Amino acid sequence: MSTTLPVADSGSLRRYAVDLARRHPRLLWSALVLHVLAAVAGLAAPRLLGGLVESVENGTTTDHVDRIILLLAGFLVVQTVLTRYARLVSQVLGEQVLAELREDFVGNALALPVGVVEAAGSGDLLTRTNRDVDQLGWSVRWALPEWTIAVVTAVLTFAAAISVGWWVALPCVLGVPPLVLGLRWYLARAKDGYLRESASYSQINATLTETVEGARTVEALGLGQERIDAIDDDVRESFAAERYTLHLRTVFFPSMEVSYLVPTVATLLLGGYLYTQGSVSLGDVTAATLYVQMLIDPVDRVVAILDELQMGAASLARLLGVAQVPDDRTVTGRVPDGEQVAADDVRFSYVEGRDVLHGVDLTVGVGERIAMVGPSGAGKSTLGRLLAGIHPPRTGEVTVGGVGLVELPLGDLRGHVALVTQEHHVFVGTLRDNLALAAPPGAGDAEVRAALGAVDALEWADALPDGLDTVVGSGGRALSAAQAQQVALARLVLADPHTLVLDEATSLIDPRAARHLERSLAAVLEGRTVIAIAHRLFSAHDADRVAVVEDGVIAELGSHDELVAADGSYAALWRSWNGG
Amino acid sequence: MRHLPLDHPGTADHRSPTRFLWWLAGGQWRTLVGGMAFGIVWMSCQAVMPAVIGRAIDQGVSAQDGGTLLAYAGLMLAVGLVQAFTGIMRHRFAVTNWLTAAYRTVQLTARHTVHLGGTLSRKVSTGEVVAIGNTDISALGQVMDVSARFSGAVVSFVLVAVILLQTSTTLGLVVLVGVPGLMLLIGPLLSPLQRRSTAQRHLMGGLSNTASDIVGGLRVLRGVGGEQVFLDRYRRESQATRRAGVSVARVQSLLDALQVLLPGVFVVVVVWLGARYAVDGRISPGELVAFYGYAAFLMIPLRTATEYANKLIRARVAAQRVCRLLALEPEVVEPVEPAAAPPVGAELADARSGLQVRPGTMTAVVCEPSDDAAVLADRLGLCAAVPDDDVTLGGTPLTALPRADVRRRVVVSDTAATLFSGRLGDRLDVTGAGGAQVERALATASAGDILDALPDGLDTVVTERGRSFSGGQRQRLVLARVLTGDPEVLVLVEPTSAVDAHTEARIAARLREHRTGRTTVVMTSSPLLLDAVDQVAFLRDGVVVATGTHADLLRDVPAYRAVVTREEVSV
Repeated sequence: MSTTLPVADSGSLRRYAVDLARRHPRLLWSALVLHVLAAVAGLAAPRLLGGLVESVENGTTTDHVDRIILLLAGFLVVQTVLTRYARLVSQVLGEQVLAELREDFVGNALALPVGVVEAAGSGDLLTRTNRDVDQLGWSVRWALPEWTIAVVTAVLTFAAAISVGWWVALPCVLGVPPLVLGLRWYLARAKDGYLRESASYSQINATLTETVEGARTVEALGLGQERIDAIDDDVRESFAAERYTLHLRTVFFPSMEVSYLVPTVATLLLGGYLYTQGSVSLGDVTAATLYVQMLIDPVDRVVAILDELQMGAASLARLLGVAQVPDDRTVTGRVPDGEQVAADDVRFSYVEGRDVLHGVDLTVGVGERIAMVGPSGAGKSTLGRLLAGIHPPRTGEVTVGGVGLVELPLGDLRGHVALVTQEHHVFVGTLRDNLALAAPPGAGDAEVRAALGAVDALEWADALPDGLDTVVGSGGRALSAAQAQQVALARLVLADPHTLVLDEATSLIDPRAARHLERSLAAVLEGRTVIAIAHRLFSAHDADRVAVVEDGVIAELGSHDELVAADGSYAALWRSWNGG
Repeated sequence: MRHLPLDHPGTADHRSPTRFLWWLAGGQWRTLVGGMAFGIVWMSCQAVMPAVIGRAIDQGVSAQDGGTLLAYAGLMLAVGLVQAFTGIMRHRFAVTNWLTAAYRTVQLTARHTVHLGGTLSRKVSTGEVVAIGNTDISALGQVMDVSARFSGAVVSFVLVAVILLQTSTTLGLVVLVGVPGLMLLIGPLLSPLQRRSTAQRHLMGGLSNTASDIVGGLRVLRGVGGEQVFLDRYRRESQATRRAGVSVARVQSLLDALQVLLPGVFVVVVVWLGARYAVDGRISPGELVAFYGYAAFLMIPLRTATEYANKLIRARVAAQRVCRLLALEPEVVEPVEPAAAPPVGAELADARSGLQVRPGTMTAVVCEPSDDAAVLADRLGLCAAVPDDDVTLGGTPLTALPRADVRRRVVVSDTAATLFSGRLGDRLDVTGAGGAQVERALATASAGDILDALPDGLDTVVTERGRSFSGGQRQRLVLARVLTGDPEVLVLVEPTSAVDAHTEARIAARLREHRTGRTTVVMTSSPLLLDAVDQVAFLRDGVVVATGTHADLLRDVPAYRAVVTREEVSV
């Protein structure tokens, strides 16, 4: 990934969690209260049993036993009913929170700066979209409610144990040091360990995806062994990450077990001692031992789910991180006066200290057609992106009607300049949906059809089984590359910017389709200012002006005839082309 | 713990999901048995704990015997420590089992993908294969993981049942009949839950696809707009998913409540019987406490058994997908008795089109219609969906030669060729030709400037599918890669379609010199390249209609002229 998206820090994570809790006070409190009541009902059993043991010891009747058992059953029914509603409310809350989280995330992804989207590989964002949303779903649906229930149960069980007698607190305290020490040691390391683990699975998936998608190339070039080695390397790294977290648990889990064991044994010993002293009853000893044993399960769940929560938090951090990408646009509210696009002493670097543009000046006349030529890597595409307002220049400025492109709100910018590249994407949805996304509000089928007609695509569109309602995109009806490109062009017609920057827009299409596409393209270009990054000279030939970009500057600028007459590098190239 | 990944994942039995699971389990039976052994001891420790506590209360506390109490406390401590030790060992084995199954499946998937090559995309969708790495491996891992606990659950259940039977036949029978009975009682609730869960998972899958679709097309959305439309659509689907989740919660919470009620009823019954026996003096108060402990403990094996059943179902679904992939075979079959290898420098010919490629020269092929070029290139390199015997090397059909030999000698590089991620130098030199060859190939492909712009040169790490490079850069790197390999016969499809004219002219001039003595076929309609080759073959409707130099054909064949001098688009 060329640019890795940021990950939120723990401070913003906490703020977000608090904010989320504040949004649903009613559900949150009813869930908590119900869980508390359910746990209290569950605590009756040891007390009743303790009493039972004592009365048996002292001699009792079957009637008494039956009464106590009936009481036991009564508490059980109450606990069952309370549990049902407690679980229901907390799951409803979980679903609610989860929906908000994922919607926020997608909203944030959709607001990412265009420059970041262009620069970052889709891999990182896709992993966040799939794996992290899933992980968080698991945490919110399962881990968080379980954890909350466990905390409530643990606290109340401890309270119940204390209610038998203050002496019960003493053995419990014995378990605290190993618990706290182990937990601190573990949690300090766990998050990084699990993050590394999760990253290693992302890497396995990335390599697998690449291998699957490039399977043809793998076969043609005999890259099989190399791909197998790459997967095995990823697995090796994943195994190393897994071993590390396993090592953490190998230290941590036994320390937990010991901290559960010590209090149980100590309670029995202390209780037995106090009983011989006559200061407590047999029922107290029994109840206390049972409570302390009952404490193990919720405390263990509190502790065991903590790392699950940590992983959920890590996923959340990655999801929230997307919101932290700083916007590279500063909207000033200035309104462009006219449609003239101009670059003034523009410098730009992708990597600090490595300028790829070294002071470019270019004023594009309204309605003018400029062809940008020059060797690969000279900075043509970068200049094109800057002229389309995708990246802000490091120094200097690119303006439309006197206002910097990065000062315009994105929605406005699209009405001025658009970048057309060879990449295209057909969204899952109807053909109409795919086009309407670029249309101004209120545009209907007439506009959509007109746009398709303009790019010469109406014929095949009408021939689709359901016309505009045909579902296209992954899983739907597959469009050919040329058709997808026409859809992209039709979107431009609907977006209707006055200036277009074409970056090798049709270069990867096979020549026959390109000819057809070039006709579609010509229709889109009609009446607009065009800056074309051309790789074929015959498109430069008819341009109003040709800009030769070499080594990050415009080396030559003028009409085709002027440049040929000037006998510079453009002229040399033109001769070699025509000499053939 | 065992060393992973395995050097060889082996040959899977993919005849059915069950057989596949058995095969996986068979490959790791030692660690599975290890996990089970520790699982059994671990859970048995938990099972006997109530008995120890019961005796401690009876013989220690109640009898006010300090020495016995101490002895029992020591026993409790010992059992607890054994439980802690076997617990962590069980966990370590469980993780190993999880990882072995998951990694092995990944390795199998990768190896089979490589084995299928170009056939893969024609037979199965990318998503189907990627889903194996995304979700199926964890389903397969989990079923191995839970097996250790499951066996512990079964043994400890029997253990407790035996202990209770020795005390009282009635109590023993209550346990033996009651616990499985409880499982059956929960059963009817499981099917509506599963129905609703399936609906929910279906929506979740759809939601995830929508999100991926949005992210995949983010450039488009940020470029021309439509963010709000897609956000609204995502929100709608997200809310539908939430409602499905709530509908699951209604049943799930009932089930959760039953998980409290049914075991609770069981505990109440056991304690009631026990208390009555205690009143009669048939059992001691301590034993009554122990009964309560057993009844409470038995819920753990019960839950584990339910979990195992659920995970087994999921693992079977996952195994099914893996089996579907593994059952695919490449379209090109290995010849049963391979023909003798033609000598180096043999002529490549295609009887169907009449194309003959003179060895050691560079031949350009121009097709009308141009779609035929890619098809012909595929056939020349034995990459077509339907292999045929018409393409021959030195008179021997390619289909009669071992597939690996054909791949080594005839290499096709088309416009869709992928540049893989990793260190650039390694990705270019895939045959281990050495640095000098790479340098030379980069010079021919006119890719020096790409390298100059990279901070670490050949050590730069290429991102996923070479996305950090522009289309033109990628194309030149792909060309350099295939030139570095220096194959005997090289078939290039539009190798310069995405580069600028300056660069194309340079590449055209250097390519023939680079391939001196080797056979090269270039499918192209670019005049710059056509002018630089030894001979041009012009195909109409799949048949060679003219051969000669570019200049000859331009002069003599009007149809050829029409194809290579494309109509100009005015910009």
